[in-house]
Amino acid sequence: MPTVASVSSHVLAIVLAGGKGERLRPITERRAKPAVPFGGAYRIIDFTLSNCVNSNIRRIIVLTQYESLTLERHLYRTWNILSPELGEFIDILPPQQRLPNRWYEGTADAIFQNLYVLEQEKPRWVLILGGDHIYRMNYRALLDRHRAEGAAASIGCIDVPLPEASKFGVMQVDAGGCITGFQEKPNEPTAMPGRPDRALASMGIYLFDTDVLVRAVIRDAKTPGSSHDFGADIIPRLIGDRKVLAYNLNSAEQPGPAYWRDVGSLDSYWQSNMDLIARYPEFDLYDEEWPIRSGLGSRPPAKVCVSTEGTMGVVEQSIVAPGSVISGGHIRRSIIGPRVEVHNGSAVDECVVMGGVKIGKYVHLRRAIIEESTEIPNEATVGFDLEADRRRFKITEQGVAVIPRRAPF
Amino acid sequence: MSDQREDRAGAVDAPLILFVDDDANQREQYRIRLERQGYRVRSVDGADAAMEALREERPAVVVLDIAMPERDGLSALQELLDADPGLPVVIHTAYPSYADNFLAWAADAYVVKSQDMSPLLEAVARAVQKHPPDGG
Repeated sequence: MPTVASVSSHVLAIVLAGGKGERLRPITERRAKPAVPFGGAYRIIDFTLSNCVNSNIRRIIVLTQYESLTLERHLYRTWNILSPELGEFIDILPPQQRLPNRWYEGTADAIFQNLYVLEQEKPRWVLILGGDHIYRMNYRALLDRHRAEGAAASIGCIDVPLPEASKFGVMQVDAGGCITGFQEKPNEPTAMPGRPDRALASMGIYLFDTDVLVRAVIRDAKTPGSSHDFGADIIPRLIGDRKVLAYNLNSAEQPGPAYWRDVGSLDSYWQSNMDLIARYPEFDLYDEEWPIRSGLGSRPPAKVCVSTEGTMGVVEQSIVAPGSVISGGHIRRSIIGPRVEVHNGSAVDECVVMGGVKIGKYVHLRRAIIEESTEIPNEATVGFDLEADRRRFKITEQGVAVIPRRAPF
Repeated sequence: MSDQREDRAGAVDAPLILFVDDDANQREQYRIRLERQGYRVRSVDGADAAMEALREERPAVVVLDIAMPERDGLSALQELLDADPGLPVVIHTAYPSYADNFLAWAADAYVVKSQDMSPLLEAVARAVQKHPPDGG
């Protein structure tokens, strides 16, 4: 067996970053979901990659597919930090099209098409991750449990209130945490043993013994009618044959309180951004034990100042990224990305403002997501008349307006 | 392998074996031997020709060499299975070491070439039995 120090180096992490993110349109129109800006300073994939690096898992492959230019550029510029000389890497792998004219048909197919990468790397364990979730997790603790229990595969799970479990893949487990059944978005989810009010939801995080993974994806590729999905196809078939463990993120060895969000819709994207602005949020970006790396480099600090008209800039309960200047504007309960300008007399309330946005004078914005590098002209108003907004912008179920780059003002 | 099939050699309803090997001598040797077992045999010299043959008629079993000059058999194996996921494939190579290669695990059997042809004939027979041509 490998020594304790070297165990993590036998793990290959594969980040599936190729999803289209249809439900996040229009903010995924020109970029893959993992490249969507989040929390002022980050892109969504930074959370997964930071978890890897913080867990000492430093052999990482990112499988890209649609609209991957922004993602690739971000990875090259921000994540060029590992040392190939020490056997560490983050490799970006677009589809090699070894199979003619084929995109990935599902998560398991993405692994099947890249079996040659596993053959080249020969890891002992493979950690399969999504690039589109916001969470903090020590994967090393997952690996330790996996090994201690002698599992063939382990699935990262989080316990959620029973009524909310219908939105997720739900694990049925025995008292020892072994998975005995799996329900995809069940109407009547099964509660955890001894916890009648909670259910174990899959986080889409899978750790496999490599040989188990290889056999499973080959078997899946040969199965007629399979949707080639880990949750729907691979795991249900595996639990009958092998020991598959549910690992609860809500475990003592994990950093901080268990927080995991699938930012699958524009409303959940907006809400998870808003989660960050509490004084003591569940997900604390300021936890020095578990840093989340961002790509902001050498930008100057944010500045809040009096405008030439003499109005004081004000920022309340918000996150403001470096390089931004709030000159006589009033920011409340918002996330302000890098290089944003907010000018005299403007009010921004409960907004997610991405990088490079210029907000003119006397603008009023409420409950909006504003796409990167958008210019909002003087005196524009969004968020006060939903019907008027609906004629110009996409409005989410929760009434959040999404303002695209060339917004029709 | 019994010789009961001998009288069926070349019969139109006999299972078709697609034999993929860049070595012409081996193709000929194995063709004769497989036909004697009652199979129909189509021999091709590389992966691209195998793909073309697959499009023309679905074989009962593909016997696939690995070390071939144009394209190796392991990358061809993935493409064959992508075109026809249920296709039985027997890898037939001079190299025992490829058995540990994950790509080779997608084959139904792995046979190392030797003077004794019986391991290959047995693997082919098993694959034909496991995957009857009517899909049953």
